[in-house]
Amino acid sequence: MKQYTYTHAIQIDADKCIGCSHCMRVCPTEAIRIDGGHARIQSVRCVDCGECFRVCPQRAIYVKDDGLASVKSSGYRIALVPSIFIGQFPSDYSATRILEAVRQIGFDDVFEVEQAVDMVKSEYRHLENEIDQRPAITSFCPAVVRLIQVLYPSLTDQIIRLKAPHDIAALYLRKSKERQGIPPSEIYIYYITPCAAKIVAARDPVAEKESPIDGTIDMKIIYNLVSKIIREDKSSGLHKSYANMSPDSVCWSLSGTEKKYFSGRSLAIDGMNNVIEFLDKLESGQLAHIDFLEMRACDQGCAGGILCPCNRFLAVERLEQRQKKLEKLKLQNEGKVTNMLFEFSEELHRELQIDAVEPREGLQLDEDMGKALQKMKHIKKLMTFLPGFDCGACGAPSCRALAEDIAQDRASISYCVFVQRVMEKNYKLSPEQSFSVIEKIWGQNRLNKYTDENES
Amino acid sequence: MEVQYEIQGGDFSTAGQASSEIKKLLKQFNIDPQIVRRIAIALFEAEVNVVAHAYKGIMKADIEPESIRVIVEDEGPGIEDIEKAMEEGFSTASEAVRQMGFGAGMGLPNIKKNVDEMILTSVPGRGTCLKMKVLF
Repeated sequence: MKQYTYTHAIQIDADKCIGCSHCMRVCPTEAIRIDGGHARIQSVRCVDCGECFRVCPQRAIYVKDDGLASVKSSGYRIALVPSIFIGQFPSDYSATRILEAVRQIGFDDVFEVEQAVDMVKSEYRHLENEIDQRPAITSFCPAVVRLIQVLYPSLTDQIIRLKAPHDIAALYLRKSKERQGIPPSEIYIYYITPCAAKIVAARDPVAEKESPIDGTIDMKIIYNLVSKIIREDKSSGLHKSYANMSPDSVCWSLSGTEKKYFSGRSLAIDGMNNVIEFLDKLESGQLAHIDFLEMRACDQGCAGGILCPCNRFLAVERLEQRQKKLEKLKLQNEGKVTNMLFEFSEELHRELQIDAVEPREGLQLDEDMGKALQKMKHIKKLMTFLPGFDCGACGAPSCRALAEDIAQDRASISYCVFVQRVMEKNYKLSPEQSFSVIEKIWGQNRLNKYTDENES
Repeated sequence: MEVQYEIQGGDFSTAGQASSEIKKLLKQFNIDPQIVRRIAIALFEAEVNVVAHAYKGIMKADIEPESIRVIVEDEGPGIEDIEKAMEEGFSTASEAVRQMGFGAGMGLPNIKKNVDEMILTSVPGRGTCLKMKVLF
């Protein structure tokens, strides 16, 4: 089988993981198994959505960014800050104040990602008439793009072949700083990310040869440092005298703004389960005559990102307030928006396209059709014995997943606790053997807590 | 490998389950995703036809290394004029069915477009049998 390696930001700390299986039960692509007492993630299926991170009671699942330590000690260092970061702070502080505090942490410049959204809007106006594969699906959310690659391979060619705003912003920064006379090799761009998927997108983009971003930093780290700075100096900061982007661009990463920029029937769908339900119907041909799908893996879009410390609804409200402020500024300037990015619009326009998104082979039983059919028949037979409780005691998220693992020689039928009882009754398995099966899945010392003495 | 699913006539709320199950199986094979998509669309249309017109039906699929064959058989009013039924835009669907967004007369032509072989037979007053084949 073709072997690809996939980059992931979601990691499991084996020292903290107790193999409790909470993550396994929520993984939308069934990428997690419990083995040897720990959760393990199958690389080909993981889309870095972070659903597992949200439910881990041990905090054993972490997000691996490049970190502040990756920021160079010299050169021209720019922090790319998404609007949702500004939405983490009370509206008393101006956006300028928050961005200035980020700069103080150790950057030479800061730039708000959403300024690049204005460029996406103008691209949509061109693209709209060219796209005949409908509905067109936005490339904005990297977790959704990867989910489609794994679970909905037939829909990959409906993903709009356009770079995400953070990429466009980074391209712009390189061009504009170069024009200012800074050598390209001295420019370093660091993206403050609201989620794991954006980290992966910046490190290893889909359908792009390389990323214009040099490093990623977990938003929580910057949040803590900025919180400290604004606590010590409570000044609310300066306010802009003009709108540096069109007002609703600040809300782009939330749910419901992007869809307004694609004419026809456009839908905004947020939350992993909602996205999956919709894509499933779409792939089955059950939905017709839809033109555009704005999809966000997190509920409330990036406000629900796993690295956003603030309550998502509060953050949404703050960004809406900010949109209103920008609308006021725009009115004061005779409806004019001064977005520096458009000085480079022609050059950027030529570089915004991405390649076609290719499917991943995460669901395939075997590359060879004959062998895959044999495995499928085996799975079908196994499903007739398995209890259908999806209890997870076998270390797989469902009976079906266990059946697949058995057909793939990654598990044995004795992993099922119900089958074990029957095998013991029929003397096919000794109590010692079935105990060792449980230990293989749940770990050597997992069952030591229980002894006959502590029963009373 | 054979699988089969029952289809309940008139139950629009669950229409699409049988075709969706078969689509799920096909995704586990090394088949061009666009072919899987074509099959899914054809099967969904066929399933909706049973739901919209018949009392009950059955969808049987046989997956082989080079192709899939699907038979959708129903007990229902059957089709009087098959040639006419294959015309785009022709439909005998009731107003109630059209109100639900079905019955645009595109079902059978759409199936034909998406499969490699299609045989439609019917005994008016008894039922309809649709046989389809798609090569991988």
